[in-house]
Amino acid sequence: MEPRNPLMDDFVLELSGAEQPRICFLPTASGDADHYVVRFYRRFGAGRADPSHVSLFRRDRSAGAVEGNLEEHLLSQDVIYVGGGSLLSLLGTWRAHGLDRTLRRAWERGVLLCGLSAGSLCWFADAVTAFHGPSERVRGLGLLPHSNCVHYDGEPERRAAFRELVAGGLRPGYGVEDGAALVFEGTELQEVVTSRRDATAYAVRVGEDGAAHEHRLTARYLGADDPATAAPPAEGLAVAGSAAAAAPALALAEDADGGDAGVRGTVGHPLAGDAGVESAVAA
Amino acid sequence: MGGGGFTMEPGRTALDAYILALAPVHRPRVLFLPTASGDPKEQVERFSRLFGTLPCRPRVLSLFHLDELEETLEALILGQDVVYVGGGSMRNLLALWRAHGVADLLLEAHRRGTVLAGLSAGAMCWFQGGVSSSTGSPEPIDGLGLLEGSFSVHARQVPERGEVQRAAIAAGRLPDGWNADDYCGLLFVDGRLEEAVASRPDAGARRVERLADGTVRETELPVRRLEPVTIDLVEDVAERRTGEALAPTDVRDELRAVRRMRDRATRRRMRTRGVG
Repeated sequence: MEPRNPLMDDFVLELSGAEQPRICFLPTASGDADHYVVRFYRRFGAGRADPSHVSLFRRDRSAGAVEGNLEEHLLSQDVIYVGGGSLLSLLGTWRAHGLDRTLRRAWERGVLLCGLSAGSLCWFADAVTAFHGPSERVRGLGLLPHSNCVHYDGEPERRAAFRELVAGGLRPGYGVEDGAALVFEGTELQEVVTSRRDATAYAVRVGEDGAAHEHRLTARYLGADDPATAAPPAEGLAVAGSAAAAAPALALAEDADGGDAGVRGTVGHPLAGDAGVESAVAA
Repeated sequence: MGGGGFTMEPGRTALDAYILALAPVHRPRVLFLPTASGDPKEQVERFSRLFGTLPCRPRVLSLFHLDELEETLEALILGQDVVYVGGGSMRNLLALWRAHGVADLLLEAHRRGTVLAGLSAGAMCWFQGGVSSSTGSPEPIDGLGLLEGSFSVHARQVPERGEVQRAAIAAGRLPDGWNADDYCGLLFVDGRLEEAVASRPDAGARRVERLADGTVRETELPVRRLEPVTIDLVEDVAERRTGEALAPTDVRDELRAVRRMRDRATRRRMRTRGVG
């Protein structure tokens, strides 16, 4: 949900393979912030998708969110889209409502799982966050047996901490810049796509010398090749980029006036015709 | 509180002033936790607006915006005189506190004398159990267990909660306890009920207990009606506390009682404090 740059969201809808994808938004990591929910409907409500959202903070009030059996609803979706914010808060709240199990089930059934920032980190076995205080390792849901670090371009300390943790024994994984997304089928990385020309992602693993090495991955830009006709206007990109640098993980979740800084997510989509193991896109 | 305070009755400051006056210090440090509602901006603003005008040093802890917090959670929480917890989803509240290690810090703060207060989910959380609609309809839920017994809120406003509490007590799922209407709060000192207070007429509270024959009985508690409090009056109390200035006349009964209670609390070096 980058402002003025629909490339990543368009890609997610396309990846679902559905004509009018049922897409459910989980704004949990932001505390179900109203402005975030509104932004989701603005982006996905224009007749091209069948949007809904779950509010785990207001299950007793009909505020337009899904009511009743959450699992049934989530398992019937084409796409589950997880917003950014606080990873610890996200995981704690999900577990309290049993959504950790539900989302695994959804993944096994082939629902495309995606999200940005905390909504990307959550799918991995290990996440490196720097939300409060020094960077730390957090165990995610573990659908993807890798480690993940986001805002890789905007926060040098986070990048350094990730490399250090990997050198120290954290499982190998991926550092992802704002505007880039990892696409997984099952647990295997298929490709890196980007909504910004210069964004990319890195595979980070320990080399023979015992140090952490970054391998820059080839990324496919989702916009038009010709810069003159590129979908996102250059100004839009510049705004998103600077916002990301200033207020990384939270820009999405917190900025009431739409400072949706950068897409960082995980998208999981199903393996067509396979045992139903879905894939994930981490942006 | 079974409900009430600035998030539910803006403009009526009686319950909030009562909580503030429980702290045995001048200009107490007050920390608001809107966790149970997901830290909505609107609650934070409302808190800051009101408590910014009261004689205290207000702060807000938002677990969803921890990136804005400069000190450690430990330093912040253990440095408070009053912790005030907002309403919302009790299930989420406890899950979030545990995920961030906040529950243990609150219990430690309480051992050191911090007044713990809150409404709705923010009140029930201190007890062994309560009745929460966190998953849609009211059901029994375990709390932190700092206060013995169960507590149910919005008693008159949402009667189904009371029914669930009575059934749970009858079945042994929840221990004996209390329930309170909106605008009524219970003060516990050293784990024992000290008094019930209300900011409006007809707001009540009840003791709920299982009898030997297995039935559940509710007994109305005496409730002290708090006088409406203006900000001027709260400031009078603050001045009196420090002797900086003496209010001319007529400090109302409510404020005198609050002060007495505060002094008593100081003397006892209270082990357990909480306003449900």
